[in-house]
Amino acid sequence: MTETFTAAQTEAARHSVEPLLRAEGLVKNFPITKGIIFQREVAAVHAVDGVDFEIYPGETLGLVGESGCGKSTTARLITKLIPLTSGSIWFEGKDISKMNNRQIRPLRREMQMIFQDPYASLNPRKTVGTIIGTPYKIHKTEGDTKKRVQDLMDRVGLNPEHYNRYPHEFSGGQRQRIGVARALALRPKLIVCDEPVSALDVSIQAQILNLLEDLQSEFNLTYLFISHDLGVVRHISDRIAVMYLGRIVELADAVDLYDNPKHPYTASLLSAVPKGYEAAGAALTNRITLKGDVPSPIDPPSGCPFHPRCPKARIVSGSDTEVPENCKNEMPPFGELGTDHYAACWYPAGEGDDLQEAAHA
Amino acid sequence: MAQGEVLLEVKDLHVHFPTPDGIVKAVDGLSFAVHRGETFGIVGESGSGKSVTNLTALGLINMKSAHVTGEIIFLGRDLLKLDKEELRKVRGKDLAMIFQDPFACLHPFYRVGDQIVEAILCHDSVSKKIATDRTVELLAAVGIPRPRERFRDYPHQYSGGMRQRAMIAMALVHNPDLLIADEPTTALDVTVQAQILELIEKVKQDFNIGVILITHDLGVIADVAQTVMVMYAGRGMEIGGRDLLFTNPLHPYTWGLLESIPNVTQKGTRLVPIEGSPPSLINVPPGCPFHPRCPHRFEPCDKEIPELMDRGGGHPEACHLTDGDKKRLWAQREERRRVVKAAAS
Repeated sequence: MTETFTAAQTEAARHSVEPLLRAEGLVKNFPITKGIIFQREVAAVHAVDGVDFEIYPGETLGLVGESGCGKSTTARLITKLIPLTSGSIWFEGKDISKMNNRQIRPLRREMQMIFQDPYASLNPRKTVGTIIGTPYKIHKTEGDTKKRVQDLMDRVGLNPEHYNRYPHEFSGGQRQRIGVARALALRPKLIVCDEPVSALDVSIQAQILNLLEDLQSEFNLTYLFISHDLGVVRHISDRIAVMYLGRIVELADAVDLYDNPKHPYTASLLSAVPKGYEAAGAALTNRITLKGDVPSPIDPPSGCPFHPRCPKARIVSGSDTEVPENCKNEMPPFGELGTDHYAACWYPAGEGDDLQEAAHA
Repeated sequence: MAQGEVLLEVKDLHVHFPTPDGIVKAVDGLSFAVHRGETFGIVGESGSGKSVTNLTALGLINMKSAHVTGEIIFLGRDLLKLDKEELRKVRGKDLAMIFQDPFACLHPFYRVGDQIVEAILCHDSVSKKIATDRTVELLAAVGIPRPRERFRDYPHQYSGGMRQRAMIAMALVHNPDLLIADEPTTALDVTVQAQILELIEKVKQDFNIGVILITHDLGVIADVAQTVMVMYAGRGMEIGGRDLLFTNPLHPYTWGLLESIPNVTQKGTRLVPIEGSPPSLINVPPGCPFHPRCPHRFEPCDKEIPELMDRGGGHPEACHLTDGDKKRLWAQREERRRVVKAAAS
């Protein structure tokens, strides 16, 4: 049933096709307790605080943000690895948020995960053949497991003769290929990639990114691709969602987001990325350097979570110390500011805004 | 590219670690020089010997278990010939270092301010009062708000970026001549990374020092370094001014690195990775260490080690290809990238 779309077709198709996965109002709080016997909840870490998004068949949705913004928690929520506090998740039209473990198990075939650390995500005491073959055993599939595992190894660029080797005999890039093969074993529809290339050197990173792209077109895969590296996300994504303090602040087509960021946080995040040799020199002067650090998700700021650091709010108020009332008091709605370009901001960045000036003031 | 006096000169450095599996050649014949007022970027993949080089300069590797030859001349003195006492007088005073992980470098039980005061009292016999005032001054200089109050905080009360700022303040206490920054921003988020890179640049100008910046991130190098050295398997592959190195690189490994970065591409355009993976430092390939992965290898590459030398143009590199071939091959790659980019946009 899954069809693939080129980047140009996705936009037209998006309105007619059912999303593969829809998340509505995802909330995850991790309670902080006090007391040994009578544990009172004294506070909560608002790791994910009301996140909505849709993933369409055949596309890659990129999820970017700084550490602690809730990217990985979101991934764990939609794959049902941790329970939700509230909200709902629809996978192929079925509400999976209320399902128990037994009900969810058949659906696990359809969504798999690739993890960041290829050293920690493979059991060092199992051979590669066992690791990649385990999904077949769990789901009791018919057929010759060894043959299928070796086909998979061949497909992801590993030597099938290495079937009986242990993970420590492989390099970092090869281990990540093992992780990819394991995720691919049951021919899932959705693969959640949680920082799959962050632990790899650039030359190896490029190999894995190319592999992921090839597999996507070959097996009609849909990716949720999480990374803190904006260059990598831009390379692989059709659409990108930017997270800040547990919320999605901007969601748009990849090219549109990079060329025309609406949320001041996205603009400063993009400007902070070292631009590389094509723009060497100009990059330092055009940078919007944000003041301060990301606030604690235990006690997020009122209103828009970005208002204490926002350069645009300072332009609007006309003062370096003031921010407009609505930024401080009310969470801005997640509004459509352009074709399929959503951002949660009262005063979206437009042309001619000198955010850099405001941030340096 | 060289402005001031030579601060540090490394000559034919070899650092070998004997292990039960064989000799690990972490650094194998490396030479370079760092001048006052410049940021010298060292870039390479993990295991290319970037960190070992600088740990050796600081005398922070275990000399009993390592076999070190060559010279590391810092302001006229060979650091490898100094004994422990003499080295201690240089290290932390004229030669300072900041490390990758600001979480592991501050002692969690002591107040941040007291740790910096201790660093001052190590080399200067001044009163504690003067040391305290100097610390507060430095904390302010590296951009920590309300420095007098934050002086009394413990490291866990600082964020990652602030800890790195405190480490920079600590490195600056004795007005060093050379600051070695080993992956100073790798553990930090991009917005904080931008702040720290700007701070290092400001410190370099205000104190008129030299900086060695070690990183695996070519984007960071392109932003802040004036001179760049590309390392692979314990050797220098190419040394050049930033503009020269990024616009006109001469070594196939540098080409591969530049083309692997997905910074200008978008979905649909393919990256050009370097095939294979970096060699084990126990079995470094004979000849040029890069030849098994090099698409342009030819007859002498697996036998003769190419010397890192200036073949004219102030841009030393280590490759057997002739100048004409290098120019032609790089031009081909540039053309290909231009076509891909035009097709994508």
